Amino acid sequence: MQFFRTSVLLLLPAILLAQDPDDKTQHELTASAQAGKKEFQQTCAFCHGPDARGASAPDLIRSSLLSHDVQGDLIGSVIRNGRPAKGMPSFQLSDPQIRAIADFLHEEASIAASVSQKIPSDYPLQKLLVGNASDGKAYFDARCASCHSTTGDLAHLASKYKPFDLQTRIAFPSGVKPSITVKDNRGELFEGELIYADEFLVSLRDKDGWRHTWKRSTVKADIHDPLAGHEKLLKTYTDKNVHDLFAYLETLK
Amino acid sequence: MTRMALAVLSVGVVAAQIARTDWPTYNGDFSGKRYSQLTQIDRKNVAMLGLVWAFQTDVNTGPGLKSTPLLVDGTLYFTEPDDVWAVDARSGQQNWHYHYHANEGLHIGQRGVGYYKGRLYFETPDAHLLCLDARTGEVQWDSVLADVKLGYWATMAPLVIRNHVLAGISGDFNDLHGVIDSFDPETGKLQWQWSALPLPADPAARTWPADTDAIQHGGGMTWITGTYDPELNLVYWGTANPNPVLDGSTRPGANLYTCSIVALNPDTGKLAWYFQPSPHDVHDWDAVQTPVLVDGDFRGQKRKLLIQASRNGYLFVLDRVSGKALLSTPYEESNWSSGVDQQGEPVANREKDPSPAGTLVEPDAIGATNWMSPSFDPQTGLLYVDTHDSFSLYYAFGDGKPEGFGGRDLSVWSHGYLRAIEYQTGKTRWSHDLGSGWTWTGVLSTAGRLVFTGDVHGNILALDANTGKTLWHTFAGGQAEAPPITYELDGRQYVLMGAHGVLFAFALPEVLLENLQP
Repeated sequence: MQFFRTSVLLLLPAILLAQDPDDKTQHELTASAQAGKKEFQQTCAFCHGPDARGASAPDLIRSSLLSHDVQGDLIGSVIRNGRPAKGMPSFQLSDPQIRAIADFLHEEASIAASVSQKIPSDYPLQKLLVGNASDGKAYFDARCASCHSTTGDLAHLASKYKPFDLQTRIAFPSGVKPSITVKDNRGELFEGELIYADEFLVSLRDKDGWRHTWKRSTVKADIHDPLAGHEKLLKTYTDKNVHDLFAYLETLK
Repeated sequence: MTRMALAVLSVGVVAAQIARTDWPTYNGDFSGKRYSQLTQIDRKNVAMLGLVWAFQTDVNTGPGLKSTPLLVDGTLYFTEPDDVWAVDARSGQQNWHYHYHANEGLHIGQRGVGYYKGRLYFETPDAHLLCLDARTGEVQWDSVLADVKLGYWATMAPLVIRNHVLAGISGDFNDLHGVIDSFDPETGKLQWQWSALPLPADPAARTWPADTDAIQHGGGMTWITGTYDPELNLVYWGTANPNPVLDGSTRPGANLYTCSIVALNPDTGKLAWYFQPSPHDVHDWDAVQTPVLVDGDFRGQKRKLLIQASRNGYLFVLDRVSGKALLSTPYEESNWSSGVDQQGEPVANREKDPSPAGTLVEPDAIGATNWMSPSFDPQTGLLYVDTHDSFSLYYAFGDGKPEGFGGRDLSVWSHGYLRAIEYQTGKTRWSHDLGSGWTWTGVLSTAGRLVFTGDVHGNILALDANTGKTLWHTFAGGQAEAPPITYELDGRQYVLMGAHGVLFAFALPEVLLENLQP
């Protein structure tokens, strides 16, 4: 029995990891926490709220008590002794009941903290789909079609990117490297991918994979940044433009 | 007569003073200018600047050097989250190294120590304030700033004002409660505490909803060192954003004293005035940026000014006696505000609040600037600020009761500049392109008419203070995040800057200095 309890405890983080709760809005509670949730609803929710976020009594998820509690050691004594000065009665619950309530509160708190720090991967697409796809198409035809095609480079775009990625790429796509042509002081021409440029130096990688670096002041360097157009667009986008384009491009499955 | 005339002509001279050769506090002095009167390194000779020594922390994990070194009596003191070093400023040799025990606080950065009569004050990641013996690094006392279990941490360099050690705290994910604490430098006893969230009797409490616990969890961290005017006996401090960060639905109102600049009496912690750069912020744009104190002309009148280039992209020039705004104007591009109200506080366009479908906002959550130290040069009358023109898509998830961030921002684009801003108009006189992305270096200006900073690539730069032209540079091997300082020892001026785990000391060649001797 002791062994069993220990192994469950050791497994707990692994289970959480496997479920990857860090980037989801909907979380499965462990069995113990689910039992604790039920117990909490019956005994505590009337004052502390059904989600333990507080009602007539304080929010427990953001409480000092919970932060310092280990497996119910502090919560248990508050439940059993009450807080008469603050009007909280005592509740005579068993050790397993208290442990389950503590597990529920700790899991809620850890989920709250993780949701607070990440974009959830299961974020409902419907929340993002507030734009008008036909307005998006009109914008695309007018402003984007000179460089992009929905049957060419952008075909099946919505299948390639998750909704958040697609929306941020509409705002500004990353990962596209500029190309560069350099004419050195002997008149020799070099072409390749730009790999470094500051105010002093410029470097390219040529088609054979060699890196070349020059002092900027000694050569003529023409940088072609395919994202220059996107920088201009970014400054003019309205939120409606972004949402309309998203609604349109999301149809390109 | 000449000296008097100079004092009258030049802005920013608080009192007649001899050029400081040391750097005894976070900003070099109480004013927050990060301006040095040293002139040995100047526009003509800066091209000869060379490496004197480099100090390796040998700490290869964590955030690297983000601290401003102090220089006191020939010794440098600087930090990383669990470490303090004392290094001989002439040789770069380690004098001692203090390492704090393993702890669970957030190791996001450490910005330096405070100094008082042979003692150092160091904030730990788990929100303790330690007093160390400056001779040995031995701990003299250890006081708790805040409860790490609740999600607090600490990074800032304490500010020592007479017999007060002022310490702020950090924490963003857990809806905490910001304070400034004042400790006795010798005993570590708490002298006073100022709460960034008003007590019930304070009329400012009405800027929060009644009948909920929003105000108790309302944020207002105090994570950048303030400035001090000895004549007025007022300390000036910026406070951070309200919580939940990106979803303001449970905290309608201006949410004082978050995103505010406050003036406090350092002996009592009593509030003299406040000004709020971002009422009801929902973009994580705290107002902790250094409140720079300048005594200078403002539209024909000599005034005691406070200047802040705030994270929300606005420059604020306040009368620091009264807290009244004299100028509120954008210094970097932004799209979230429709202008300012009668108090000079920006009016947010609520259509640019975070939303479930995403809102495109300029600047991003990192802001138009952040913790990088600005510098004010009294000779040019320019405020030098490391700025970002940037965009984010801001999401407020809108599920249940918002907690912590209550959403997220996804930064999509950023470009860095060093801007030289005229403080009477907010106009940029010149800007220097620092590259695509985010710079974090901070700025130093000197009477040699130089500005020192760094670019996104890892170059350390010396610029002409009047024009922004690059006069010297060297590649540091990584972006410099430890702000530049300068000091003079044995008649030689040093410039220090740190990148990753290395602190570099630069000076003019000794052979050149011998020829410069009269």
